[in-house]
Amino acid sequence: MAVKKDLSIEYLGVKCENPFFLSSSPVGGNYDMVSKAFETGWGGVFFKTIGIFVADECSPRFDQNNKAGVPWIGFKNMEQISDKPTEKNFEFIYKLKRDYPDKVVVSSVMGSSEEEWEELGKMSEQAGADMIECNFSCPQMTSHAMGSDVGTNLELVEKYSRAISNITKLPVIAKMTPNITVMEPAAIAAIKGGAKGISAINTVKSITSMDYENMTGMPVVNGVSSISGYSGAAVKPIGMRFIANLASCPDLAGVHLSGIGGIETWNDCLDYLLVGARNIQVTTAVMQYGYRIIEDMINGMAHFMNERGIRDISELIGIALPKLVPAEELNRDFKVIPKIDLKKCVGCGRCYVSCYDAAHQAIDWDDKKRRPAINDECVGCHLCLNVCPVKDCIMPGEIKWKEGRKPVDIKIKQHYV
Amino acid sequence: MSKVDKRKYTEEADYGFNLRTAREEAMRCLLCIDAPCSKGCPAGTDPGSFIRSIRFNNVKGAAETIRKNNVLGGSCARICPYDRLCEEECSRCGIDKPIRIGRLQRFAIEQEKAFKMKTLEAPKKKKPYKVACVGAGPASLACAAKLAQEGYQVTIYEAQDKAGGVLTYGIVPSRLPEYVVQQDIKTVKDLGVKFVFNTKVGRDVDLNELGFDAIFIGAGLWGTHLPNIPGTDKQGVWTAIDFLKKGRIEKESFKPGENVLVIGGGDVAVDCAVTAKLLGAKNVHIVYRRTIEEAPANMTEFKYALKLGIGITTNMAPSEVLGGKNVEGMKFKGRDGVSELKLKADAVVFAIGQKPEDMAAIAGVKVTEKGNIKAGKCGKTNLAKVFAAGDIVNGGKTAVEAVKEGKDAADSIIAYLKKKEGVK
Repeated sequence: MAVKKDLSIEYLGVKCENPFFLSSSPVGGNYDMVSKAFETGWGGVFFKTIGIFVADECSPRFDQNNKAGVPWIGFKNMEQISDKPTEKNFEFIYKLKRDYPDKVVVSSVMGSSEEEWEELGKMSEQAGADMIECNFSCPQMTSHAMGSDVGTNLELVEKYSRAISNITKLPVIAKMTPNITVMEPAAIAAIKGGAKGISAINTVKSITSMDYENMTGMPVVNGVSSISGYSGAAVKPIGMRFIANLASCPDLAGVHLSGIGGIETWNDCLDYLLVGARNIQVTTAVMQYGYRIIEDMINGMAHFMNERGIRDISELIGIALPKLVPAEELNRDFKVIPKIDLKKCVGCGRCYVSCYDAAHQAIDWDDKKRRPAINDECVGCHLCLNVCPVKDCIMPGEIKWKEGRKPVDIKIKQHYV
Repeated sequence: MSKVDKRKYTEEADYGFNLRTAREEAMRCLLCIDAPCSKGCPAGTDPGSFIRSIRFNNVKGAAETIRKNNVLGGSCARICPYDRLCEEECSRCGIDKPIRIGRLQRFAIEQEKAFKMKTLEAPKKKKPYKVACVGAGPASLACAAKLAQEGYQVTIYEAQDKAGGVLTYGIVPSRLPEYVVQQDIKTVKDLGVKFVFNTKVGRDVDLNELGFDAIFIGAGLWGTHLPNIPGTDKQGVWTAIDFLKKGRIEKESFKPGENVLVIGGGDVAVDCAVTAKLLGAKNVHIVYRRTIEEAPANMTEFKYALKLGIGITTNMAPSEVLGGKNVEGMKFKGRDGVSELKLKADAVVFAIGQKPEDMAAIAGVKVTEKGNIKAGKCGKTNLAKVFAAGDIVNGGKTAVEAVKEGKDAADSIIAYLKKKEGVK
């Protein structure tokens, strides 16, 4: 790929070749894997979470759900933290830093007591890790003294953040669970305890598909299953919401954020940057496609930056935040009436069906010519535009001002992909 | 060098879908309102509905829809000329290419078998009326199935030893495997329809003597047809239907010869050429007197023939079969009045349309100049209790049209019998 661009960025004082990291998961669980990922172009790794506790895993442990034949809309996993001995994992980290000094290795750790957190902090620093991420958020731990049960308990978040931050000079990052109504209090607790950065989100507690042979959820382990973490494309909107919330929170001003959840393409990375993330973490897409997806992330991002004349990737961080406003601040004085390009229309009638059954009966259907026409009932909801299968067939059209409202200059979206 | 497909005679020409690929294809469907594809099916198979069922993961419902509307849904899924019926109407053509409707129909019918579904049912209590159907081809099967579902007692008389008519004897098995036809026929049989084989109406049995309340004629076109040119009496000259039938019965043991010429431009001509090629003929050539554009065959079939390495020559009409006792070659005259063509051949197959048998003598019905039965739109003949449909009336069209006409005739028969009941 031809376009080369410097995507380097500083994260918590550490220089990163690019902001694209593997998240703490099976995709970064030993030396050989991470070495291959680094060679492919990943800027860094959040190594698979290390504990004093060594996980005993079930089989099978994954499921994916699909919509109308499109697989991996979302992905469910029942894996816990590393199943390798603690010392072995720190040895991997040591060797990775020795052989790839310019790549960033984050030691992801999880303890069940202050002593364990301290111990893990010390070992991370000794192994040469660049940063430490505290996993307060794995939703499928077999011990309730660990994982997302900790992440929803503000006292424990603060206490463990403090225990590990006090023992090491490395920057500490707290990884948040989305299985909580609002994330800001937990993030604030971590920062209070000494954490410098926040990662979000870990997986969403879920049941994906049901199995009718055993009448349980998927995956089936000896005839039963468990609620466990959901990831992949389906959770991206949820992850983005949490990052935007954290980035807009005055009490968290200046805290570096790492965005996680459903990232597959350079657009997904960009989306997270725009709402305030400074670092990007990926697992599910790597599980589905392999490390090579980094090539198009890097190249696609470089093309976008060139297209927009952006020299430094950090310029992109949070630029959409001022434009994400509370619902009460939206201008509600006008409606954008869609216009239908009858030359592009293939006559499927989907706009008519959806408008009639789910909106405002604002499309008339000529059943002889098989063509739709928008009538005066249109409220400008754009359901039709969203169901139309033809590119650029239904587009935003005339702006109509509600009775008695004062027309002003407004901005609307003009191009759809 | 072009890569040519090499297949066995009974090897299927195309692959099917599995649940995953079927749903992927169904996802491409725009789920049109008042679906144009459904309007494009003569038999009313309603692809708009059954594709939606597949899209929403209701494969059994899809199979039910197909069978309910078209009892020969399995066979039609394999042989329909989609590109000028449902798929031509598909709205998706306005974006890229149509939904593969035939292949989805095939998938749903395969699932019917896999789930051992009983998609159609006949009432336990039968109506006191008996109907005879002449011939066990598509028109009769469709008519019989509809009558049986309404509780009428139906008996089908078939001159051959198997049901299916042209489906069983007249189409190359790579395009329409025998098990697919058998599944369709079993559906009819399971409705309680009786089959009497090896019994030719008018020769072996007189229906008027058997006390039927109504008679349906779906005899098809089985009269042989050779052009009026010198040399057609030589060994190695075939009519299409005899050639195909011999292939279906003898399979790989039938050796049609090294150089085979097929004369004609319809699906039957292509089937003959494919049969010859798959049975081991080295050089197979279709010669048609008009252009490809004028040819009645489905473009998909022409493409398939080409893929097998079969040549096609147009605008050449047969003028003489050459040779001694056996065929040695063939002469053609060009449509332009100038061109001439001479080809070597061990066998010549004439696929230039079939003729009706003497229906006036067999059933006493009025016939057209060409000998087809004169029947109204809904299958009514000049005789009150005799109805007719399919190739024997329309002069030779597709199976899906025969299904439609057979269904319509069943409606006429039901109306006739109800009227009779009322009079009683």
